[in-house]
Amino acid sequence: MKRRLMEILACPIDKHYPLDLHVFEEKEEIVEGLLVCSECDRWYPISDEIPQLLPDDLRESMEDLRWLAKWKERVPERVLTSGKPFSLK
Amino acid sequence: MAKSGTIQEAVKGSYASLAKSADQKSCDSLQTEKLVKYGYSSEELQTLPESVVTLADGCGSPTALATIREGDTVLDMGSGGGVDVFLASRKVGPNGRVIGLDMTPDMVSWAQANAVKLNAANVEFKLGQIENIPLDAESVDVIMSNCVICLSTDKEQVFQEMFRVLRPGGRLAIADEVALRVFSEEEKADPSKWCSCITGAVTEGVYAGMLENVGFEEVYVKQLRKPGESTSGVFSAFISGIKPAKNRSQ
Repeated sequence: MKRRLMEILACPIDKHYPLDLHVFEEKEEIVEGLLVCSECDRWYPISDEIPQLLPDDLRESMEDLRWLAKWKERVPERVLTSGKPFSLK
Repeated sequence: MAKSGTIQEAVKGSYASLAKSADQKSCDSLQTEKLVKYGYSSEELQTLPESVVTLADGCGSPTALATIREGDTVLDMGSGGGVDVFLASRKVGPNGRVIGLDMTPDMVSWAQANAVKLNAANVEFKLGQIENIPLDAESVDVIMSNCVICLSTDKEQVFQEMFRVLRPGGRLAIADEVALRVFSEEEKADPSKWCSCITGAVTEGVYAGMLENVGFEEVYVKQLRKPGESTSGVFSAFISGIKPAKNRSQ
């Protein structure tokens, strides 16, 4: 994902703009990172350069939680404990 | 009809397996012939890698029909392998951008790999759903889509979302299947017919009415090819419309 996409990305659920961006790995583009909606506490992974902004019912909880656990040292505490639609606690 | 969740799962599954089969597919002359019939030029297809052309499908060529201008921000709803995104990216140039949105992870990965191959700097692919577009309001100049809206089980929500993300004065350029008749609930419950872009289609009047209800103006549904080759009950159309400019006097 290119950084300039942040100019127009919004939460697919409550349409809040802008989203918060946390970058974990960046080459020419953001390879791994996290998007967070400060309004509804939903988090969205950026994985393999692709931002995943699916609504709750289309998300794979197992896959998303595995991804969250992988980056737990870098993910804000608030997302780990009370992020939506899934959290680690 | 079947529960909308069931149909949505079927649509997702059917396009996921199409993306997975992409490696085995070859781009033969038949594929090019089909796309030329849809309105693509063989010259523009030749400029794209085989991995883009091989997965290209739809019912028209929105980029050939759209009035995409240099510097535009374009959203492709249901971008699949990315063919229309890449063609549009050349029209918008370095100051514009094209965003491909698709709900099938394998399709988005495939398209993103193609973007890297093509070194397309003004292209972005996102995993998301057209019923819940992950973009800010009034952030897009043109929405295009190629044979995708007919697959949605909640078209009204799709149209509301399209209206929300378009800038005032923003344009629609949609190739889609339109129904010749109203399908029965029984027909609509068959996931295979729905996934083949048939029973999810609505009639011309319903299509235009839904777009006008959410606020679009100058809505036109133009038949692209004569129906009749098949008895499927749908025809391919180009649907255009405009989100009215704000400062226009009523």
